[in-house]
Amino acid sequence: MSSTFNRERRTAGLILAAPLLLILAGLLIWPVYLGIKTSMTHDVLSEFSTYGVGLGNFKNLIKQPNFWLSLRFTLIYALVATTLEVILGFALALLFDRIFPGKRVLFSLMLVPIMIAPSLMAVMFRLILNENIGIIPGFLQKVGLHFAIFDQHNIFTSLIILDILEFTAFTFLLSYSALQNMQEEVYEAAAIDGANKRQVLFQVTLPILRPAIAIIFILRFLDSIRTFDSVYILTGGGPGTTTQTVGIYIFKTAFIYGDFGLAASAAIVLVLILAPFMPFIIKQFNLNQTGRQ
Amino acid sequence: MRLKKNSIALVSALSLVVGLAVMPAANAATTVKMVLWPGPEGDAMQKVVNAYNASQGKKEGVTVKMILLSRDNTFAKEATLMKAKSSEYDIYFTASYLVGQHAPYLTALKGVNDSLYLAAPVNSLKVAGKQMALPLDTSLHFMYYRKDLIASLGANAAKYTTIAKDVLGKDLKPNTNPATWTWDDALATAAYFTQKYNPDSPTKYGYALPAKNLLYNTMIWNDVLWGLGGNWLKGGKPNLNTPTGKAAIDIYNTIYTKGLTSPESSQWEYPETNAALESGNAAMGIQWNAAYSELNTTGSMKDQTGIAAPPGTGQRTHVHALAVGLNKYSKNQVAAAKWMSYLATVPAMKAYAAAGGVPSMPSILNGMVAKNASFANIIEYAGKFGYSESAGPREFDIYAALAEVLSPAWSGQKTSGDVAAAADAAIQKLLP
Repeated sequence: MSSTFNRERRTAGLILAAPLLLILAGLLIWPVYLGIKTSMTHDVLSEFSTYGVGLGNFKNLIKQPNFWLSLRFTLIYALVATTLEVILGFALALLFDRIFPGKRVLFSLMLVPIMIAPSLMAVMFRLILNENIGIIPGFLQKVGLHFAIFDQHNIFTSLIILDILEFTAFTFLLSYSALQNMQEEVYEAAAIDGANKRQVLFQVTLPILRPAIAIIFILRFLDSIRTFDSVYILTGGGPGTTTQTVGIYIFKTAFIYGDFGLAASAAIVLVLILAPFMPFIIKQFNLNQTGRQ
Repeated sequence: MRLKKNSIALVSALSLVVGLAVMPAANAATTVKMVLWPGPEGDAMQKVVNAYNASQGKKEGVTVKMILLSRDNTFAKEATLMKAKSSEYDIYFTASYLVGQHAPYLTALKGVNDSLYLAAPVNSLKVAGKQMALPLDTSLHFMYYRKDLIASLGANAAKYTTIAKDVLGKDLKPNTNPATWTWDDALATAAYFTQKYNPDSPTKYGYALPAKNLLYNTMIWNDVLWGLGGNWLKGGKPNLNTPTGKAAIDIYNTIYTKGLTSPESSQWEYPETNAALESGNAAMGIQWNAAYSELNTTGSMKDQTGIAAPPGTGQRTHVHALAVGLNKYSKNQVAAAKWMSYLATVPAMKAYAAAGGVPSMPSILNGMVAKNASFANIIEYAGKFGYSESAGPREFDIYAALAEVLSPAWSGQKTSGDVAAAADAAIQKLLP
């Protein structure tokens, strides 16, 4: 009886989920299939015909120094930006984890950057940081400071600062949410044991929130690796390829050089590089042990 | 029985309504969809489209609908549509530097009257002798300079000569006629108007250098190369790893490394170059002809905007045309061709020019010199100094590849010797 009931329940579940699964297949599986197919095709815009090349595009990609340079830049950029954003976001969350006048307004203001599209932010930065007409260089010059924001020697630092300005809001929001889930009893117990603020932070809060911080780090890191629009608008990946992210490499390969096959193979290699992070995230969520029956 | 009759009546009425709804009207206009990009070209074209739809379009049974994709990514979106052999748009936006790449997806145009157009733009849209697109705006480069500053050079000849000797190691005298400038003249003048070398200079930098890794900046650098007598190719082989090619790279390298331009100019393109000239921070620079109206009406260059052909031992300027081409997979080829025939007429291009476009028809440009003095220069320079690269279907890719390879040398990270061979290799890879 129970077995029949469970079987019927499963069937009903599948029928109810079918529309969603079909949409998912259309939006995810079909494009992935097309991507894989394109990666195994000689598909160049200026050439009318396309034909299969097996793993030829992947072999060609491995020989492209620009791909490896862009991958190296992307990993360094993502690591530096993410580390700083997680630290800053968590520090801000600690500051906001108390009641103070104007908290609601400040909290809302903190979230503004993540509501703006990265491309729009980049265009805004390009305007307000322009040394000839920008408000910030104008102010810096007024107070006697001369800092060439887009000088090639400062460009990496500038890009990281701009990334921090935009995405710290994301790490702040998730850190703040994690802090809100801390049990009050834990802090009370620490206070009874005579722990000072520093000890509470390093020996209580951080160890408990370590899984949450790890997830925030990984999510932001994966997102940073996909960085495209802001860097493309500000530097075009240059001078040369010094600020070229993998996203820019893929975009240029497909839409400037018109080699869709090579671009698709680069996209797939990027997915393969990122894929090992997924089990780690799943482990942090404890998906196998938690959840409603 | 009565119910049955009612049902039959209801079904008949519904069929009639549905039938009327789906049946095309006897004289329904065919809608032709045309891609353009936003900005002055899109704004101007909308007025021509409106005029056509209101008059001739009605007679011809054609309604034109213009779709403005983003200015940055119009060509990327079109590339995807072309590759998918899409019929979504009937007319694609293209350009001289892209027509080779787009040609397999376009229908060759017939009956275009070449004699109405400037030779360089219309010829640059031919592939294997066939006219693949219809020219709209002509774009070329001017050397923009502040007239008041250049006129003042003669009064400080000794100082000029000293600065030229210090910065360039050459004995030079001021040349107050930029139309005859060699690159030595331009560099020495730029040094003279750089506060680092001349604290009395009214401008912080002498030159505004668009040195970002951007294919459109390669087009500007190309004027230096051609002005020195160079070219991408010689006898079908790449030709940048040569004394002329290296000299052209060295000119940009000198401007940057000697501090004649802002250190931030390694990330400059059109808007930043304009901002440097308008703000009074730079005295001169090669820039697109489209900048003239803005430069001559705002900021420090207001009414002081001088125009000359780019410097060189034999002055040259890149010329290209923005254009429209007929999608080979369009299901409305006949209707689209009717609209394009209209677009190729003098009245249509006159309306386009009146709305802010820069058509490639000299007769129209001549008639509008009073409105925009630079139109006279466009006609003169396109004829006397104009050139278009013709490196085959991947010309656009070569511009992009050269920007990537050369921009480190333009901005002093590398030398001409470091990049010239790589530039040749990049060209070789993209040749047919």
